Formats: sequence, C-alpha cells, structure tokens
Amino acid sequence: MKTRSIIKKFLQALGVIALALVLVGLGNWQLDRAAVVKELNAAAKVIDPKVYSLSELAAPTVALDSRNVNKKVAVNGFYIANFKAPLQSDKDGKVTDWEAALLQVDGSDPSAGILVVRGLWADRLLNMDITMSTKVDLVGTMQPHQNDDRAENVPGVISRLDSSVIVGQADLQLYDGFIVAQSEITRSSELIRTRVVAKAPVSRVAGYYWQHISYVAIWWLIAAIVLYLPFYRRSIAS
Amino acid sequence: MTGAVKRFRVMAITAGVMSLLLWFVDLPVAYLFNNEDWKSKVAWIPFVHGWVYAVYLLTALQFSVKARWELRRVIWLALAGTLPIASFIAERKIVKNYS
Repeated sequence: MKTRSIIKKFLQALGVIALALVLVGLGNWQLDRAAVVKELNAAAKVIDPKVYSLSELAAPTVALDSRNVNKKVAVNGFYIANFKAPLQSDKDGKVTDWEAALLQVDGSDPSAGILVVRGLWADRLLNMDITMSTKVDLVGTMQPHQNDDRAENVPGVISRLDSSVIVGQADLQLYDGFIVAQSEITRSSELIRTRVVAKAPVSRVAGYYWQHISYVAIWWLIAAIVLYLPFYRRSIAS
Repeated sequence: MTGAVKRFRVMAITAGVMSLLLWFVDLPVAYLFNNEDWKSKVAWIPFVHGWVYAVYLLTALQFSVKARWELRRVIWLALAGTLPIASFIAERKIVKNYS
C-alpha cells in the first residue's frame, strides 16, 4: 500500500514537472518568435550601402538568414530558365506580372542557382539585348521567399517567388529567397529596362515583438504556477 | 481579503474588455481583412491583452490562495481571463460571495 502511494506521488510529480517543462518550452518558442520579428523588422529598416557577394549572404539549400534580407548583393552567372511571376506587388502596391529567371551562379561547385526578378514581364521582349542576354553581372537586393501563391504553377509560370516551386526543373542546388535585380551588365553594356522594387518583406511570424514577450511572461508564469499548485493543494488539504 | 477582491475585480474587468477587443476587433482585422492600415491601428490590442492577462493571472492566484479555493476553481478562474465575458462572470460571482 505504501509502495503504491509512493509510486502515485512519484508519477504525479513527474506529470507536474513534464507539464511545467512543456510550458517553459512554449515560453522559449515565443521568445524565438519575438527574436525573429525583431530581426526582420530591423533588417527592413536598415539601409546598408555595402554590396555583398552572394556567398557572404546565403548558401545553397540553406534558409536565408533574416538579417540579410534587403542587403545589396552582387553575383554573376547565366540565365538558364525564364518564368512569369504573375500578380506581384511592388513597394507602392502596384500589381504587375514580373519576369523571373533562374540564374546559374558562376563558379559554384556543385552548380547552384538563384531566382532573380529581372523586371516587368511586359518588358522582356523590349529589345534584343534583354532577350538574348544570358551571361550577366548583376546587382540587386536579397529578398526572402514568398509563402503565398499568386497563380497556378504551370510550365513557364511560377505561383510565387520561391525556389521550392522550381525544384527539379534544373539540376542545381537552389538558394533560398530571391534577388530583385537593380542592374544587369552583359558583355557589351548595362541592360536598360524598368526595374521593380519589391514590397518590404512581411514577417512570417504573426504579431509584434512586445506581444510575443508578453506571451513568454504568461507561459513562464503558468509554468511557475503549475509547480506551485501541488504545494497549494497540500496546504488547502491540511 | 478585501484588497485581493478589489485587485481581482479591476483586473477581471480590464482583462474582459481586452478579451472582447481581441476577439471581436483585432482577430477579425488580422485574419478577415487585408488592410495594413487597420492592422497597424489595432496592433496595440494583443500586446496590451498579453500583459493585462499576465497581471490578471497574478491577482486571480492571490485571490484564490486567500479564499483557499480548491484546485479546479483556481484553474477555471485562470482560464476565465482568456475568454470574452468569462472574466466578467467570474468577477460578478466573486463580488456576490466575497464582498
């Protein structure tokens, strides 16, 4: 009888500790979300004039660090595929179809590729230089991949600017995120066309920094209460 | 005891108002309407609600301990702060029995 009582108390204690650990874990999760929101908001506000090489900001098949969003990047390579990215919204909220291309990065080993927004879809046939340009040196801004589809994925059209929707279309290791080109130089000269400016990225985490911090306080407070309740129950019983 | 009841009443009413705003203003704006301007105008609601609920929990716990409530009622009182109207009901019941 005594053994059974000890086992029961042990299991109850184990249950309380497990529940408290889960609650502390939920608090930690909210703390991570708060950090992500803070980093992305900071990245959206920072205007960094430095031009980085692609390898400084990102690596193929690795999630783009939110601190590198909006930074200027220079990369060279050659376009191996073109896509229409329908219904894209620019920084002024104007919705148009964009021309996106898959750029095979020069000198990458194993071969790697990144999506590049070149400009408006309507301008893709503007002149021969744009149409025929395959090998380019470009400068643009790094952007995080999009999560919401704007269209169907059909040949030649991508539903969103996200390398995961073109996996398997080329034997390349793909970078997360995409580049919005600000300038492209071919062998002969700079390609002149209307460039688009991407809308400021919206945090993938809903909510605001201090909101998540308040949830951290709540989860940890509840964890402390859960640890206290068995002692409280005992004091009530006595 | 009177102090604990007063503190709980203030926080129960505040948490109730914030819950109503959260459920019926902030959440519809955030998930039903695609309007960034509205979203930025109601951004303070979840933030204030979060901190108000944390303080509500403390006052609910203090009241429960003083009233020597059983565990089940303590948990109910803690959860009442998350649902609209529930904290108003809790506040009315406590005023009726402990004031």
